[in-house]
Amino acid sequence: MTSVQTAVVDTDVHCSPKALSDLSPYLDAYWRGYITEGGIALSPTQGGAYPPAVPTSGTPAPSSVDELRAGFLDVRGPQLPQLNLAVLNCTTSFHCNRNPYYEAALCRAVNDWLVAEWLERDDRLRASMVVPTLDTAAAVAEIERIGDHPRIVQVLLPVRTDAPWGNVRHRPLLRAAAERGLVVGLHAWGRIGNAPTSSGMTHTYLEDYIANSQIIVQGQVTSLVTEGVFAHLPDLRVTLLECGFSWLPTLLWRFDKDWKGVWREVPWLDAKPSETVRRHLRLTTAPAQLPRDPEQMREALDLLDAGSMLLYASDHPHDHGSGGERLLAALSDEERERVLGGNAADWYRPA
Amino acid sequence: MTSTLPMRRSAGRRTDHTIVDSDIHPHALARDILPRLSAQHRRRFETFGSRVPGPPEIYPRVRNSGFRLDSWPEGGFPGSDLQMTRDQLLDLYDVDHGILIPLQGHSWGVEQPHYAAALCGALNDWLVEEWLDREPRLRSSIAIPHESPDLAAEEIARRADDPRFVQVLLSTGGESGFGVRRYWPIYRAAADAKLPIAAHTGGLEQHRGAGWPSFYLEEHVWNGNTMASLLMSMLCEGVFTEFPTLQVVCVEGGIAWAGPLMWALDEAWPRLREDVPHLTKPPSEYIREHVWFTTQPVEEPDDPEHLEIALRHIGMNDRIMFASDYPHWDFDSPQQAPRLFPAALRRDIMGANACRLYGLPEREVAA
Repeated sequence: MTSVQTAVVDTDVHCSPKALSDLSPYLDAYWRGYITEGGIALSPTQGGAYPPAVPTSGTPAPSSVDELRAGFLDVRGPQLPQLNLAVLNCTTSFHCNRNPYYEAALCRAVNDWLVAEWLERDDRLRASMVVPTLDTAAAVAEIERIGDHPRIVQVLLPVRTDAPWGNVRHRPLLRAAAERGLVVGLHAWGRIGNAPTSSGMTHTYLEDYIANSQIIVQGQVTSLVTEGVFAHLPDLRVTLLECGFSWLPTLLWRFDKDWKGVWREVPWLDAKPSETVRRHLRLTTAPAQLPRDPEQMREALDLLDAGSMLLYASDHPHDHGSGGERLLAALSDEERERVLGGNAADWYRPA
Repeated sequence: MTSTLPMRRSAGRRTDHTIVDSDIHPHALARDILPRLSAQHRRRFETFGSRVPGPPEIYPRVRNSGFRLDSWPEGGFPGSDLQMTRDQLLDLYDVDHGILIPLQGHSWGVEQPHYAAALCGALNDWLVEEWLDREPRLRSSIAIPHESPDLAAEEIARRADDPRFVQVLLSTGGESGFGVRRYWPIYRAAADAKLPIAAHTGGLEQHRGAGWPSFYLEEHVWNGNTMASLLMSMLCEGVFTEFPTLQVVCVEGGIAWAGPLMWALDEAWPRLREDVPHLTKPPSEYIREHVWFTTQPVEEPDDPEHLEIALRHIGMNDRIMFASDYPHWDFDSPQQAPRLFPAALRRDIMGANACRLYGLPEREVAA
């Protein structure tokens, strides 16, 4: 890869409290008691998403700015582009238990922790805020409480949900984000306990991993478009994070065809689903699930219009293999510049 | 765009390629099933019917219940009348072989085990007596009580000697993922009988990870994803390694998604091998050795060349089979459908591939 002169934005950098006690300063006495007396602890596998010894999980996510600097931000070699901005994503609340009040308290604590211990300590950092998934009013209140912070650029939602994000019950949440110019990010993993596929529970991590990095997200994209979210909220921008991207063209071929057949069911759609998706969605580069054959890879990138649709993400500390490097090497200089930073700058419009 | 398949010019002059329709839906009326049930199951059927909701109850079709407007026979239901099926499909388009897929098995196969077995058995008896015995161009899938795999295996064994049953019908949504071990008696019986499994979209769609969608449009788009989930379940749970000769036909789930799925599996597998020790080679190789696709509703990019590229990436052009989906609303006619496929593949897709899988004779054309 040639040296990069462009401003680089890394749209998916993970951080996580080392233990729930890290969040104690941001929880009130009731919730501190709930946690300590109930013996509640962070899931060692993050709800099955990242078993620590699995190669794709990489190392544990950094739990402090110093750790992130020493292990990532300040360690840049020829292979790692010099970062201008990194968007922090903390998924600690994704696999929360089913108590909606606890979920809301946990999200508030994570957001306050992100602001106080990360955003205010390094100018290169931006963050996604998290919101409860079980109580729409509480999610809206949290966006109103902290969504105007100049370094919060996104509302992060799990791709595994009780009901898909296009469902009308979630609309006030999406509206609150859109009104503030916040991007809505759908990130792999999320609500535990529900079957992760159409046919029930799984027995292997590989099945969960592919479901989260390719399949479940397609249901979310279909839901957002079909339910008229973008007709209703024309300024809403949605990023799909750690959900792959190479599946998008074939989904859109199905979606456009089916829409032509049953458009009567959804008269609020005023454009082909593929046009709506290309206007309102972007996807991050990790994991990059691409053919090995260079010619086929280039064809896959052309079908996607990779130079326009992709946002660079290291997904630190997760390690999905060599696909990301192969992807960047296959892009033209102009495309690479867009993917590494230009697209994200246009999309997130960071302060 | 040009079609290499000339239209049927007139009655009596046949094109030189074989036409196999691998997805035709017959529908049994209550009066067809009741006489074929024992007294006990007949009383149950008359009293309770079927308790399993079909997909249209959850996602209503947009017009005409999802059927061709012209496919309702007097006093019947679309697919209940053999003569209408001849008139509208087999004769009209000069179909050489048609494969019946009785979707009532998707619901009936989920009932209480012995009731499910009785209903599926009656459905298969009706297919033999009213369709296969009367129409030599037809073959059928075996309807099975798929949530009672031991009884399903018995039904497969019972039908295995009738060569007109050419595959075993499965849905894509089960009480568990269809790869899990409790379903393996079905695959063992199918492999023993040298019959493919035909997984047709539908059945009990569960939570899907993202939750329940609201619209038929979403459900229909998801058909590709539910098929991908089914293949992943079979692959990861070890069906393809336990039954190395088993073939699985993906019916009505599209095709183009298979490329990105295989890329993702092959990218992840080297890093996650401890999780799936039974997979000793890249996952895409199992898919290319075990899986077939039917065409309707094939993905339609704006530029048809893009489909050709996607099919080349998948590399399974010898395992794609034409399907009309008669009598559903989105029926693909054997006359128009070839235009959807790359010219070089049309002959194989329209018939030759299916003849190879099902052991059917290709059309003989006088010199």
